Amino acid sequence: MEPSGGSHGFGAEGAAGEGMKLLDTLRFFAANMLHRARAEGDMEQELRAHIQIRADDLERKGVARREAERQAHIEFGGYQRVKEECREAMGTHLVETIIQDVGFGWRVLRKSPGFTAVAILTLALGIGANTAVFSVVYAALLRPLPYAAPNQLIALSEVRPQLETPTGDEMPYWNASYPDYLDWTRQSKIFRSFAGFSPQQFLLRGAGGAELVQGGQTTTNFFTTLGVKPILGRDLVAGEDVESGPNVAVISYGFWMRQFGGDRQVAGRSIRLGDRSVQVVGVLPRDFEFAPLGRPEIWVPMHISGGLVTRRSLRWMSVVGRLSRGATMVQARAEMKVITAGLGQAYPQANGAIQVVMQPVRDRVLGTVGGLLMILFGAVGFVLLIACANIANLHMVRASGRRREFAIRAALGARRGRLISQLLAESLMLAAAGAALGFLLARWGAAALIGAIPQTLLDTMPFLADARANLPVLGFLCAVTVLAGVAFGLAPAFGASQRDAGVALREESRASASGSRQRLRHALVVAEIAVSLVLLTGAGLMVESLGALLHRNPGFDTRNLVTFAVNLPVTTYPDDPDAIRFDRQFTERVRALPGVAGIVSNSTIPLTGGGSTVRFLIEGRPKPAGHEDEACIRSISNDYFSMMKIPLLSGRFFDDVDDTVKGPPHVIVNQAWVDAYTRGENPLGKRFRFTFSPKEPYREIVGVVANYADAGLDSPEVPALFLPFPQDANSYITYLVRAPASPAEVIDSLRAALRAVDPQLFLAQPATMEQIIDQSPSVFQRRYPSYLIGGFAALAILLAMVGLYGLISYSVSQRGPELGIRIALGAQRGDILRLVVGEGARLAAIGVAAGLAAGLALTQLMRGLLFGVSAADPATFAVVAIGVGLVALAACCIPARRAIRTDPIVALRYE
Amino acid sequence: MDPQAQLLPGTLDLLILKAVSLGPLHGYGILLRIGQISGQALLIEQGALYPALFRLVRQGLLKAAWGVSENNRRAKFYELTSTGRQRLRQETEGWNRLAAAMASALKAQPEKV
Repeated sequence: MEPSGGSHGFGAEGAAGEGMKLLDTLRFFAANMLHRARAEGDMEQELRAHIQIRADDLERKGVARREAERQAHIEFGGYQRVKEECREAMGTHLVETIIQDVGFGWRVLRKSPGFTAVAILTLALGIGANTAVFSVVYAALLRPLPYAAPNQLIALSEVRPQLETPTGDEMPYWNASYPDYLDWTRQSKIFRSFAGFSPQQFLLRGAGGAELVQGGQTTTNFFTTLGVKPILGRDLVAGEDVESGPNVAVISYGFWMRQFGGDRQVAGRSIRLGDRSVQVVGVLPRDFEFAPLGRPEIWVPMHISGGLVTRRSLRWMSVVGRLSRGATMVQARAEMKVITAGLGQAYPQANGAIQVVMQPVRDRVLGTVGGLLMILFGAVGFVLLIACANIANLHMVRASGRRREFAIRAALGARRGRLISQLLAESLMLAAAGAALGFLLARWGAAALIGAIPQTLLDTMPFLADARANLPVLGFLCAVTVLAGVAFGLAPAFGASQRDAGVALREESRASASGSRQRLRHALVVAEIAVSLVLLTGAGLMVESLGALLHRNPGFDTRNLVTFAVNLPVTTYPDDPDAIRFDRQFTERVRALPGVAGIVSNSTIPLTGGGSTVRFLIEGRPKPAGHEDEACIRSISNDYFSMMKIPLLSGRFFDDVDDTVKGPPHVIVNQAWVDAYTRGENPLGKRFRFTFSPKEPYREIVGVVANYADAGLDSPEVPALFLPFPQDANSYITYLVRAPASPAEVIDSLRAALRAVDPQLFLAQPATMEQIIDQSPSVFQRRYPSYLIGGFAALAILLAMVGLYGLISYSVSQRGPELGIRIALGAQRGDILRLVVGEGARLAAIGVAAGLAAGLALTQLMRGLLFGVSAADPATFAVVAIGVGLVALAACCIPARRAIRTDPIVALRYE
Repeated sequence: MDPQAQLLPGTLDLLILKAVSLGPLHGYGILLRIGQISGQALLIEQGALYPALFRLVRQGLLKAAWGVSENNRRAKFYELTSTGRQRLRQETEGWNRLAAAMASALKAQPEKV
């Protein structure tokens, strides 16, 4: 049958009616919102009037008034229910429902404070930790770099594959030579441009004295290559980056504000850098940053001369290239391979063994922090998963316990949608409370995450400066919250309402949870145990790496060491003898200071990374040009090894008698050098020469020293050779002073001593060796994740155990009658214990097995961060697995004790 | 057989519109009127009436105003809007067609098929 003109009911309406209906609905909704109280009063009056009129009728028929009213009431039916239906019909339904649900939810949650507290705390921890880590991840990984089309920017570096890389990284250095840079620029089609830069420290002299300012010297196309325009004044222009170029500078926004108070007429004003007057020509945008140079504030064109310009083997400059539009990394690699091969053929001595490696600038900027953050992000994501699983479990258990309540409400006319919406309201209230608390935690956590990064490392990661809970992070928080709320709110809502009210009522408190729901709960607990085991394993491996690293003997005595650098300006110290003279005067003065046990110098402070390398040819062992061996080279004061307590293995240390400026060229090598190059022969007396100049003399090995950690605590032992400072002087000298007094006092007296020698000089980068170790990337990379993953793992196992405990407790309470029967039939305590704990143990065993398998796969991802321990370390895995098993058993024992105490009479009476 | 017929779903609204179309009525009056015009065959549960009334008001088919009942009680009186009148006509036609079709279908004899 197909009745025309709509159905015989009022369900379907025409399009016009639809619009009208919408309008009416809106009007009524608004009216009811505004006059809800009045509407409610109206309805009340109308219904009462109805009953009175009916009673009048009955009275007329001869019923007494009181009886008539009573009868009218009965005939009317469920008064409250009618009112409820009328409200719904009037359109106040939605608002009222929400208000009611929230009110009801509030009462329900308040009635079970334990559940509420656990749920909110669980959520707050999960959401808070996630948002905190996400804030940092966002700042580092997701936020675009402040350059035009940053994905086209590539870092290029020339490497010699023969040289073992000290940190094991793919691209430890970022260096190329100036002539090669020019050739790349000339030959490349894939790259639109290349720009060079190099770090430079400036001694800024102002009215208030002198201060060291970080900065860089660049080729003039540096900012156009990055796609950055000055907001004031002009960029550097071509032709300024030559030896006799003008003294001009582009300054950072921060420097402009600090030094010039944001003066818009700054272009043309001058600053004194060292002994030169430099004219400011431009100001960079506020958001400009360049992490490879830390926090650079002053940029000057390169004024280079001599070997820096002409020598192909002097790889001192970092190069960044911009790909042409549409060009890919693969094309660029292919092209650079061809160019490199051509240069190698043309200049076999300098470039024969050179290869070029490339990396997107973003990866280069992030360095190892990127991988670290992803691991942390993964770890904290697991915590959120566990938290959600736990909440879902809590809710399901509770929903089972509340089935009687739901059944009664369903029988009283509550529809399924109403029950679902009410459970959802409860969930969302929990989620909202958890999110609010979590947001506070996140703000605090993000600050703590940044605060835990040592300042020296933070300076190399300016992108983390604004890593605090910002808008995208807030969005993420809300998304996570809503998802979490819906995820754990809906599962029990469907579980609770899927059955017929009658069935539920009949089953009432017997509540044998449906099989699928029970399986889901079991699966959730198993997953929680597995995930927390993975996290614990990860944390265990990190802690072991940190321990191994910190307990690694660096090979020298790190106690009571203060380090600093002195930079001798070319104008007053033009030649090596000037530097040597300064060194002698200064060290003599320092040795005379009270409490100073010794002062030595080394061209590179140990454990700070960096330092240069040199190629050499051993006498009588020719090698093809360009394929010579290469080792680290350090220029040290003659008493360096004795003061650092680095053992002599054979031969002698340098001394002030033989190893002087005019003395025969001597060299000391380390054990790694001997292992690599002497083929078992006695190294003493052997001679080699450096290949960078044909004029280099043969140098004789006079001593062999033990290896010590040079680049970092985690670096492999690489071949190194040492020259006496008098024979290889430098204008940039780094000193190490051993003094037992407090570092601050020592530094003050050192500063005074330096001023006494030359008031123009500046004591740069003072630090203790403890600080250097503490803030070194190698330690940071283990300590940071140790603490964080450790914290997350603790959180995870705690949550998982709460989940397991809740599950077993619930199971015991549901099996009360069964256990009662067993006890009545003669089951012993041991039997009951085995029964209850067995259930938990089975779940724990599955969880541990799954966790071990997942752990073996996932810890491979953090192999790069491990030190002195394998990613599949059997001891770690065993200890964690046993530990998780024991804790799981303990979590089961508490409800099991309750089960043992079951009184069969009481348990059976409830049946 | 029960002298009172079961109310088909959806027919309550139509009955209310019809009852009100004969003159403004308060809620109790509508119940009496439906009983009267259906020869007491259709009796409506008192509590079920009001949600239907509120719904019809919301749909703009009825309008309501406070007045005074015959026995001097303050009561709300309902009357049809023009949309309600139109709707009543449509629904009545639809119902008649359906009823005729049903009646004809139920009268069918085996040999006539």
